[in-house]
Amino acid sequence: MLIFISVTLRAVRQPTRAHTDIALFFGALAFVILASRIATLSRTTPPPWLIAVEVGVLMAMPYILLRLVDDFTHVRAVVKRVAELGFVVGVIATFVSVPALPPPLTLYIVGYFFVVSLYCAIAFIRASRRARGVTRRRMEAISLGSILLGTSLVLAGLTPLAPDDNRAILQALGQLFSLSSAVAYYLGFAPPPILRRAWQEPELRSFLARAASLPRLPTTLDIVRELERGATNSTGTAARIGLWQEHTSKLRFWEDDDTTVDLEPGTHFAGRAFELQRPIFSGNPIRDNPDGAAGYRSRNIGAVLATPITAGERRLGVLAFSAERAPIFAVSDIELAGLLADQAAVVLESRVLIDHAARVRAREEATRLKEDFLSAAAHDLKTPLTTVVAQAEFLERRAVREPSAPADLAGIRRVVRESKRLAGLVGDLLDATRLEQGRLVGEREPVDLATLAQEVCAHDTADRSICQVEATAPVVGAYDRRRIEQLLQNLVENAKKYSPDRTPIKIKVWQEDAEARVAVVDSGIGIPAADLPRIFERFSRASNVDDKRFHGMGLGLFICRGIVEEHGGRIWVESEVGKGSTFHVALPIADGRRLN
Amino acid sequence: MMDLWAGGPPRDERPASGSTTRPRTGDEGQHDTVLVVDDDTSILDTVSSILTGEGYVVVSASTGEEALEAVARRQPALILLDMRMPVMDGWAVARALREQGNQVPIVVMTAAESAKRWADEVGAEGYLAKPFGLDDLLATVERFRKPGGRAN
Repeated sequence: MLIFISVTLRAVRQPTRAHTDIALFFGALAFVILASRIATLSRTTPPPWLIAVEVGVLMAMPYILLRLVDDFTHVRAVVKRVAELGFVVGVIATFVSVPALPPPLTLYIVGYFFVVSLYCAIAFIRASRRARGVTRRRMEAISLGSILLGTSLVLAGLTPLAPDDNRAILQALGQLFSLSSAVAYYLGFAPPPILRRAWQEPELRSFLARAASLPRLPTTLDIVRELERGATNSTGTAARIGLWQEHTSKLRFWEDDDTTVDLEPGTHFAGRAFELQRPIFSGNPIRDNPDGAAGYRSRNIGAVLATPITAGERRLGVLAFSAERAPIFAVSDIELAGLLADQAAVVLESRVLIDHAARVRAREEATRLKEDFLSAAAHDLKTPLTTVVAQAEFLERRAVREPSAPADLAGIRRVVRESKRLAGLVGDLLDATRLEQGRLVGEREPVDLATLAQEVCAHDTADRSICQVEATAPVVGAYDRRRIEQLLQNLVENAKKYSPDRTPIKIKVWQEDAEARVAVVDSGIGIPAADLPRIFERFSRASNVDDKRFHGMGLGLFICRGIVEEHGGRIWVESEVGKGSTFHVALPIADGRRLN
Repeated sequence: MMDLWAGGPPRDERPASGSTTRPRTGDEGQHDTVLVVDDDTSILDTVSSILTGEGYVVVSASTGEEALEAVARRQPALILLDMRMPVMDGWAVARALREQGNQVPIVVMTAAESAKRWADEVGAEGYLAKPFGLDDLLATVERFRKPGGRAN
């Protein structure tokens, strides 16, 4: 009775369909319990009209429950029509046949009650499994209420069949169950604010506890997802965050599959909340925003709450909640949504600051790298230049002072050799610069890698190492011939540099799936595992290369990687210290379209 | 003053006691011996041949360890020291010498911008910034040919 009075008062204060249905439901429940109590206490047979009314109210209960299912989640229209028809048929039949209820009618009434209640119980259990946070707790309470009500009904049905001395116990049990179900329904359908807050609190607490760490998540999308999750758990409704995109002047939402939806400000609820900078609630979005009707229908959305996310003057976005039905929301949810939006604003603002700091750091790092590059390049260029300048001046002085003296061949050779070295370094530097601009690779043509490998090997026959090509068939793709040749030359030279004299170097060329594969195999000093990840970086040289016989700027493999990657391929290395290294290259076998 | 050495016959790397083409200064041997240290063989060969051609006795070393050994063995009047070398670099060589109490003048050779600062750091008497020309090289070496240098 107390519950009935409390929900009735609320239904009067806020006359919505859900509140009316809840009041009706508890009214019916109270009536049935009261009537059976009176019947038990007075031990008299009630008058026929009362029996008819009792039966009518009993049959109304599952029907009202069905309406409540519809208020909170969704019931198909055909189910509603069938339930209504069944209800009307049952009530008419009862009025016609009182005082005596023929067994088929009793069976019909019990069957109706049972089937509709079961349908409702299943609907609420399913809704509770879909729901999260507070809504989940509410749906669970309602499911529990449905189960208890069903049990009490079974007990009521069993009572007349039981032996006399057990009837009182069964009756008492039945009443206990129906009372408990009333309490459970009450908690689910109309949780008092204090209980709602108790349910919300742990979710809010865990959300706020995590909020501090959110700005450091790798991407803004990760943060948005976490904020959405926290808001969903705290309110029990589906939360979505739309972020204001300065460059497009739109609100961007992310779907579950990470696709994006952009919204003009002022359109839909989120856009309006953003433009007006105040929360907007709609308990009937299809009516209030016909433009989005299709979306609301397909996603089964029956209520929307949107609230702006704003940090001081900066409008960051919108936090939008949606639920199947309006009663899922409580009045206090608007306040809660505002609180969550403020928290989201703090998190997102921190992220902006962190991003800004990271950009500044990245710029400084880029500047530092550029300076490192310049000073390393200058250093490496000055070394051969020293020989060229000093030696050439000395040769000149000698030629002036002793015109008849024999030529200083060793000195001349030094100048020639160091000039070539200088030219190579300048070439590498230019390539590295082109690589940074992504225009290392030029015009492509069909190139047979097997033949090219033979040419590169043959070019090096005069050298101390033996170069062999292993290829069974031509492997033709569309490549920049000059660059691929440079790639193979670099890899072969690299292999030779770090191999003992006269140990063979192999170039293997083959096709695997849709890729051309090249492997340059040496049995040289190898590369320590710790250096492998950096080996293709600019100015990288393995730590076990302390022999400066190997001049160069450490740009060779960096350029190799650039050539391969600009061709859309991959380069990697397998190596073991003391056993040798194998450099692998995989290049796409380009289709005709890419042939110019 | 360079003419004094011009056209002098190339010398071998033995102590310059056999030298006849330049004035003797008493403390013979060390004053015209220059140790050149650089891991780049071209620079080493170039500087050695130039200085030899100008009448100096040149000892060359391509690593820090060789350099220390050569200092102990030949007691040069001057060391031309490259800074960036693998394993034992110029700093290590200079530090080792000063720790031994050896005050032989050092001229730092480096391609880095910070040549002067590095020279100060290792307590060197001078520096040659790569790439240096013939005149820079000869003027610097000449300055250290005798302790206290010689007026230009």
